[in-house]
Amino acid sequence: MAVEEFEPRIVAFMCNWCTYAGADNAGVARLESPANILPIRVMCSGRISPELVLRTFREGADGVLVMGCHLGDCHYSSGNHRTIKRIPLLKSLLGFAGINPERLQLEWVSAAEGPRFTQVTKAFVERVRTLGPLSEEVAA
Amino acid sequence: MNEQPVPSIIEAIRQTVAERLQELDGVVGLRRSSEGVAPHVFQQGDDLSELEIVPRYPLTTVVSRLHKSFPEIRLGIVARGCDERAFVEMAKRNQIDPDRLFILGIACTAEEAEECHCAAPFPKHLVVGKPVAPGSPNPVVAEYDNTPLAKRNAFWRRQFAKCIKCYGCRNICPECFCEDCAMEDPAWVEPGLLAPPFPVFHLIRAMHMASRCVACRQCDLTCPAHIPLTVLYDLMRRDMEATLGYIPGEDIKAPPPLSVTLNEAPLLVNTGHMD
Amino acid sequence: MMDAGRHPNITLMTYSEVEEVSGYIGQFKVKVRQRPRYVDMDLCTGCGACVEACVFKKGVPNEFDEGLSRRKGVYIPMNGQGVPMKAVIDEDACLFLHRGKCVKKCMDACPTNAIDFDQKERLVDLEVGSIVVATGFDKFDAARLSAYSWGKSPNIIDGLQFERLSSATGPTKGEILTAEGNKPSRVAIIHCVGSRDENANRYCSRVCCMYALKHAHLVRDKTGAEVFEFYMDIRAFGKGYEEFYERVQEEGVYFVRGRGAEIVVLENGKLQIKAEDTTLGIPVAIDVDMAILATAMEPQTDADHVAALFGLSRSADGFFQEAHPKLRPFHTNTDGVFLAGTCQSPKDVPDTVAHANAAAAEALVILDRGEVLISPTTAMVVEERCVGCGDCVLVCPYSAISLLNSKAHLNSALCKGCGTCVATCPSGAIEALHFTDQQIVAEIEGVLAWQ
Repeated sequence: MAVEEFEPRIVAFMCNWCTYAGADNAGVARLESPANILPIRVMCSGRISPELVLRTFREGADGVLVMGCHLGDCHYSSGNHRTIKRIPLLKSLLGFAGINPERLQLEWVSAAEGPRFTQVTKAFVERVRTLGPLSEEVAA
Repeated sequence: MNEQPVPSIIEAIRQTVAERLQELDGVVGLRRSSEGVAPHVFQQGDDLSELEIVPRYPLTTVVSRLHKSFPEIRLGIVARGCDERAFVEMAKRNQIDPDRLFILGIACTAEEAEECHCAAPFPKHLVVGKPVAPGSPNPVVAEYDNTPLAKRNAFWRRQFAKCIKCYGCRNICPECFCEDCAMEDPAWVEPGLLAPPFPVFHLIRAMHMASRCVACRQCDLTCPAHIPLTVLYDLMRRDMEATLGYIPGEDIKAPPPLSVTLNEAPLLVNTGHMD
Repeated sequence: MMDAGRHPNITLMTYSEVEEVSGYIGQFKVKVRQRPRYVDMDLCTGCGACVEACVFKKGVPNEFDEGLSRRKGVYIPMNGQGVPMKAVIDEDACLFLHRGKCVKKCMDACPTNAIDFDQKERLVDLEVGSIVVATGFDKFDAARLSAYSWGKSPNIIDGLQFERLSSATGPTKGEILTAEGNKPSRVAIIHCVGSRDENANRYCSRVCCMYALKHAHLVRDKTGAEVFEFYMDIRAFGKGYEEFYERVQEEGVYFVRGRGAEIVVLENGKLQIKAEDTTLGIPVAIDVDMAILATAMEPQTDADHVAALFGLSRSADGFFQEAHPKLRPFHTNTDGVFLAGTCQSPKDVPDTVAHANAAAAEALVILDRGEVLISPTTAMVVEERCVGCGDCVLVCPYSAISLLNSKAHLNSALCKGCGTCVATCPSGAIEALHFTDQQIVAEIEGVLAWQ
């Protein structure tokens, strides 16, 4: 598959109170976000277990974004403290296992940060596009 | 690993066990019988010449079940460094009661330390034997940062392709205590599929082991396909120490870092999300 | 206030602070520390004889008059009009309590022997179903902006101090006088001191424009002095507010559209206000006898502590965070705890009354209904799978999980449904209702069907 034709499929886990509202904010402001972003809403980024991320890759996502509130802003006060420890650890593990760790990204996007949402998602889609489809990195 | 230890060490251990049995309800150790070597709870009056310390076998699950089934029982255990560290982590997870467990620590030999690439081949509660120097680091792990992604990818693809999902690694692990294991959950690991395209099976285990693995190497030794699992786990341990300052089994008072807030177990490294 | 003081169902606990709060909606346990007044409330009649007799003539700054007058060690709060109208002894001011030296004339003067220097503080345990936090606001300290020369002249005062000058119960019995005791001939009022300011607070303090207009009106009415209002915008947003603004303009108040930038204390004691008049496009400097700074409302300095006590979050501006800015402005994210008044955001009297009434109504609904509706998206323990490792207990931000008989036990009244415990449990022994792993996996499969 030529690189130009490859449209990465990115599953983005968004926390309900910050990122999901931020994505709405982007939409209301009529800012463009890439269609490659496949959103899944959860109540808190702390809900995202390593199992869910791994299953998402298993299902064929080329990239996974885990997004939540900035530190100190978590609607549930400290849910994102666990996210910030878990996701970078999982990224390292992917790298150790020979899977490009850049396919997994943690980002904080708040409810008022519509423009940041579009910027972050656009950048991630382009990065994953250069990495190529996941199927080329893991056994077919 | 399987050669008989120096006779004086084994005699010393049997002697110690005999003495401690006077105040304890039992001592958990390995017993040689006509059927082989197996875990046993030695009690007063048992023939201690049957007590062995090789081959290595993690006895944490035995202790855990005994502690849970008999809430008053006070046990001793013949333990190496890794066993003691395993007990610390299990105590943090309420699987053993540290107030009812008395560690009769034995030091590993220099050969054993080298085979395990062990950083601490002796327990803190050392009773028999002298501490030896740490084994040299695993060259694969030491060189890992210089190994390019494509090479790592090829290496693990080949390794994981051999996996037959015997669950030996999980069964033998001194830290595994779940009744319902994530590795058997069909939501994460599809049943009946060998060598899955994306190694969820192995990566789940590595994530669960991140704050618990004490580098006992039992998984490596048990795996019938000789998959070098501890290479992965050593790298995770290195990451845990670098990012959270956490070494499993080191400090019984240190809470599991992934479960507590940043105030209780802060990140030592800026992962770029500190705002 | 008097009605509240008299109502049989209302117990006023004065001189008291909340020490500890535990429990949850319908079943809060609150520990209150009540400091000693050194006056027996059952015996005191509020006659004020003790205040007359107190020998500490010099006294300390009177906080009710915003420091413009002084009071003695024993006093009846709010210049004699407090509720309850009974005496209190300030242990930091009272010569006997503070220095151990006094003949205690107050005790001799009291006709009912109400003064009791042996009173001790006490801890009271309360069991309540709902809580309303109405801890109010603090004034912006104008000393933080050196350009306004706060403290360099007694004729630079803030909005609340002017209120006291203008009040019949205040230090000047309602006459507007400079510190020298004369009627001012020219007064400046400076808007947005400590608000709409990167160097102080970014927010607009909402009430200052209207009180500044009121002050201008009072100055004109009581003294006939010239009044110059230095403003950026006039926020006259409420019922009758714009009409009042027009009236004040018609009363001959000069409005200079330009933020008051600097106050210089001149050698002759007058104050020079420097600003840019943006409508004329020229800098101006106007000498006045009195400058009133319309200072902003701020969160109280102990807001951190109070927030921690009640489990409140704080918004970016530092005020307590409401559950939703539009639809639930007096709820908090802790069920059963409500916010009333300016502790949540700057607001004036009509808004505060509406806000507080709403909070009170919600607080009563809980008590009346006798049962609580909680969100269905809580977690749920699957006991057969739980091995009692306790990681979930560590993870829960609301302490909603505890270990009972080596199994996790969840209090669904405390659970807010974040799901962090679900992601932490290695055995999958906790599920997030309506956000189960199976449901999320179904979503993952669904979205990835896109090619």
